[in-house]
Amino acid sequence: MRKSAFIGFLLAGLLFFDLLLGLYLVERHENYKDEQDVLRLVAGELGATDLVITTEARYARHPAVSDRVVPFMDHPADIEHFPSGSFYYPGDGK
Amino acid sequence: MKAISRNLNILDYAASLLIRKKYKNITVLMVFSAVIFLLSSLQLTATALRSVADDILTTVPDITVQQMSAGRQVALQADYQQAFQTIFGIREVRERVWGYYFDEKNGANYTIIGLAPESVSADVKEALAWGKLPKNSGEVVVAIPVAENMQLGQRRNFSLFRPDLSLQSFTMVGAFSQDTGILTDDMMLMSQKDAAELFAMAPGQLTDLLVDVANPGEIDTIAGKIADVLPGTRVLTKKQIQKTYDVVFSWRSGFASICLLTSLFAFIILAWDKASGFSPDEQKEMAILKVVGWQTRDIMLLRFWESGVVALVAFLGGYSLAWLHVAFFDAALLKPVMLGWSVLRPTPSLFPPFQLTDFVLIGAFAIIPYMAATIVPAWKSGMVRPDSVI
Repeated sequence: MRKSAFIGFLLAGLLFFDLLLGLYLVERHENYKDEQDVLRLVAGELGATDLVITTEARYARHPAVSDRVVPFMDHPADIEHFPSGSFYYPGDGK
Repeated sequence: MKAISRNLNILDYAASLLIRKKYKNITVLMVFSAVIFLLSSLQLTATALRSVADDILTTVPDITVQQMSAGRQVALQADYQQAFQTIFGIREVRERVWGYYFDEKNGANYTIIGLAPESVSADVKEALAWGKLPKNSGEVVVAIPVAENMQLGQRRNFSLFRPDLSLQSFTMVGAFSQDTGILTDDMMLMSQKDAAELFAMAPGQLTDLLVDVANPGEIDTIAGKIADVLPGTRVLTKKQIQKTYDVVFSWRSGFASICLLTSLFAFIILAWDKASGFSPDEQKEMAILKVVGWQTRDIMLLRFWESGVVALVAFLGGYSLAWLHVAFFDAALLKPVMLGWSVLRPTPSLFPPFQLTDFVLIGAFAIIPYMAATIVPAWKSGMVRPDSVI
């Protein structure tokens, strides 16, 4: 067998793995579509403006309705110290 | 046909070169894959969260009005009706009391939402795993993770502390389904009156107003008018809320910047390794190839395939593993940083949609610099004079 065939098998294996992953995700996404209607209803009726990704700080829990400066205003010497804060970019202000 | 055969022969030789230095190449491949895995995981997580926000935050109220004082949000007085009479185009205004309840027993933060029972559509029952929506005083719908965190077990009655440490009793009449966890995992829904009592707010005080307008094209105009008639308020529009998640996981956020810089340095080291040229043994080998009739372009092609195979396998491997990590394991390696010191640990499922822009961006970032770094040394090795090396 040619040595290049080994590379071909390796790449084909990776692509086959991607194909299986893709098929699984397509199916999972179909189920998720049904949940979206209920989620939209909750967002509208309860005014849920933010995703529950973290609950450690109010500005990280509700970034959409918090101030840009809120991480620094809880205490006179407070600095932003929550790990989840490092994920957030403050945007262009409101 | 001849060109394919020539390329295949050169690819065979490139494969034998890679196998000859298998330990070094496997190490490069693993480091390269790990860097691509890290970048792709971050990009896919951000894409998944942005996509969820884009899909479901389309129905948030058109305008949210908060009262500000000395740069902080404070309670809003419920005497806005007269001021709003001068603004045409407002379809509905809903009052809301909401805030955070810190559970001193375990250090968790819960989000308390208080709305007048008649202002919540009966359809919201679809979001419940069991039970009904709160209608009477003392009734509350609790998210399952919150009930677990409070160790309620089979109990339905529990108490929360008011600021003066007196107890307020509640009965759990329903639980939010885990399908809506991305919005409700830390939530307790109760009547506006109960929430105001829990937070010891004075009568007539609210947290915010949720305003819906008749014509979506007038949202910005009406928001401007509300800001005029209610001085000192902050008026957020639906567009601003939706935009939050478009920028929230930007490359300028701290964690993403660190990942990006680390990856850039790793790429620079990999590229430097390639660009620093070849060892005397490798130069000798190229010289022998030239003696037996190989042309400069053949040697450049050989080097192209050698680097190309490493870059392509590392890219496909790293990118595929990142999909597995984000879609199957909900970005388990990034989650500890995202959750931080959260006591209540939400477990949102991530569904990153496949986006060609992500694929091309990561592919270009991974493959092009690596391939580009091989051009000069490949050309140098192709130009080597056999008699000067052998």
